[in-house]
Amino acid sequence: MTQGKLISVWLGGVLLIAGLVGILESGAADVFLEATRPDFQKISLGVAGIQNGGGPDWLGGRIEEVLKKDVKRSLVFDLVDLPSLGIKTSDIGNGKGTGSKAVFKQAAEKGVSVLVWGKAGLKEAEKDADVNMEGFVYDSGSDEVVGGKRYAGSPSVVRLMAHRFADELVFRYTGEPGIARTKIAYVAEQGKARELFVMDYDGHDARQLTADGFLNLMPQWSPDRRFLVFTAYRNRNTQDIDMIELATGKRWTLISLGGLNITPALSPDGNFLAFASSHEGNSELYRLDTRTKALQRLTVNPSGDLSPSWSPNGRELVFVSDRGGGPQLFLMGSDGSNVRRLTFDGDYNAAPVWSPRGNWIAYVCRTQKEYKLCVISPDGQKRMQLTTGPGVDDSPSWSPDGRHLVFSSTADGKSHIYMIDADGKDIERLTFEGTHNSAPSWSPAS
Amino acid sequence: MNKTLYTCGLVLVMGVALISMPGCSKKSVQSGGDSQSAQGMAKGGSSDSSRSGVGSFPDTGVQSGGSGLRGLDKNPSEERVGSGTMLAKVDPSSSAGRQDEFRAEAGLLDVFFAYDSWTISEEERQSLSRNAEWIKSNSSALVKVEGHCDERGTSAYNLVLGEKRAKAARNYLVELGVGTQRLSVVSYGKERPSCNEHAESCYQQNRRAHLVVKTGK
Repeated sequence: MTQGKLISVWLGGVLLIAGLVGILESGAADVFLEATRPDFQKISLGVAGIQNGGGPDWLGGRIEEVLKKDVKRSLVFDLVDLPSLGIKTSDIGNGKGTGSKAVFKQAAEKGVSVLVWGKAGLKEAEKDADVNMEGFVYDSGSDEVVGGKRYAGSPSVVRLMAHRFADELVFRYTGEPGIARTKIAYVAEQGKARELFVMDYDGHDARQLTADGFLNLMPQWSPDRRFLVFTAYRNRNTQDIDMIELATGKRWTLISLGGLNITPALSPDGNFLAFASSHEGNSELYRLDTRTKALQRLTVNPSGDLSPSWSPNGRELVFVSDRGGGPQLFLMGSDGSNVRRLTFDGDYNAAPVWSPRGNWIAYVCRTQKEYKLCVISPDGQKRMQLTTGPGVDDSPSWSPDGRHLVFSSTADGKSHIYMIDADGKDIERLTFEGTHNSAPSWSPAS
Repeated sequence: MNKTLYTCGLVLVMGVALISMPGCSKKSVQSGGDSQSAQGMAKGGSSDSSRSGVGSFPDTGVQSGGSGLRGLDKNPSEERVGSGTMLAKVDPSSSAGRQDEFRAEAGLLDVFFAYDSWTISEEERQSLSRNAEWIKSNSSALVKVEGHCDERGTSAYNLVLGEKRAKAARNYLVELGVGTQRLSVVSYGKERPSCNEHAESCYQQNRRAHLVVKTGK
């Protein structure tokens, strides 16, 4: 059976459920699978340069470099190298003259669907320097300049301007917001402590969030991107679940029941917090109603249950349990009903994360004594190993568009953070500094 | 209230098992009403409302307001780009304090475990017997048993495994006559290794229960 068929079977299921549920509740499963299908045809796009609009020489080049990488990572576009197609990009000018018409014609003939160009400058404003950027888009299908953007901001947001423009391109051609402005929260070693950090999705602009000098582990985003929930140790003894507000740095304890309190995960609507706690003996899963504070125990058995991850419609959880010996993935309704085992390959499967599109669950699988990334469809019918080779891969987390995963790996020695396409192609290393970076969590899209 | 019950009833009548029951119970609680029906709806395990050990929750649901993208424009007006999600500056010097009151004690031996295991071997029982004697002869000492793991496996599962190791060691000390009130456990999973090489010799040292001491009054 082909992957395409399987996905359409799954899609059919989602539509059926969405149809039933839609009677009672709006905003059910978000069905938009086109751009993750294997036969999805990428849109060829060429960047004809960000010219110097007055200011330092590096400015246009920096923006162009960031923009090109964003376009490539979007996996919506196929970034083409215009000079190698014989297209003289400098003739594009401001996109209005005869020179630019010639470039458009050439691009159309060479099968380039979208041409992007712009300029960037820096001027000294009253208080500090101000960067201006404009970008324009030619669409060879309609043979017109379909529009552009103009941005202004401080020099510290130059990369963000490029990210924003990239997201506008993705938005224009897919209706999705793009991932170039998303962030990744993670844990970095500081001496013997482990502190929370947040960086841009491409590994730039890392910022430290906590500084308590002990262990802060496994951050997860709130759906509105304003908070992180994570595991912390109060006075080095009691293991709690804490929350931190990114804008203010304000931090407080959410769950302090005693025992082990780990792997928090907020439901997609923010109304429930699922987590593992051993306050009643061994590690069990609980679900807290964040508005009424009603606590519901979801699992009842003498083994360890942990690592809940919500389905995108909030109705199911995938989690880890070692009730059969080694850790394996299980599924259940988000009220604890209808528990069934999902994984049967190998004796160690853990750290599951449900993709935002619902069609895959990524997790850590042990094969030939190595801990690697795998994905499995929620019906258990399709399974694929994404990474190979030595090193411990851990903590996969999906990009909000479902096209990438971020994870930690010791493949290069120390633990660092990597991005991989959801089909296992193209690994990109994101962190290079420090002694240990782990537990990445990809923010929702804005 | 009637409307809520009606909605819940409708769900049951339709027999759609996929609809989450707590969705209904939540609504009843919110409308300030019938907690009995709410509990009747809740499945699987205990449920109680206000509870100590639970902090305050902000609303974290996504507010309407969209992606902040305004689309391409033939005559684009200037958009001011701010730094997006504002991140507060952390003062790393604020990490002062929080000193561990517990300290390592030469008289207490580490207890080592096999890969993936929390079973205490015969040899390690001897270490624990010596530890039990030390604890009994230092009657004011409070002992914290830390569970540790090697770097293989996931962070999350290793926290559970570390707790199993710490509890296995604690339980054996209790069997040997140490009072439970003098013992506490904590799991550090693979997050505080004593050795950082990627080699079995190092993994072995990290798969341990480590005992630390605080002298009580």
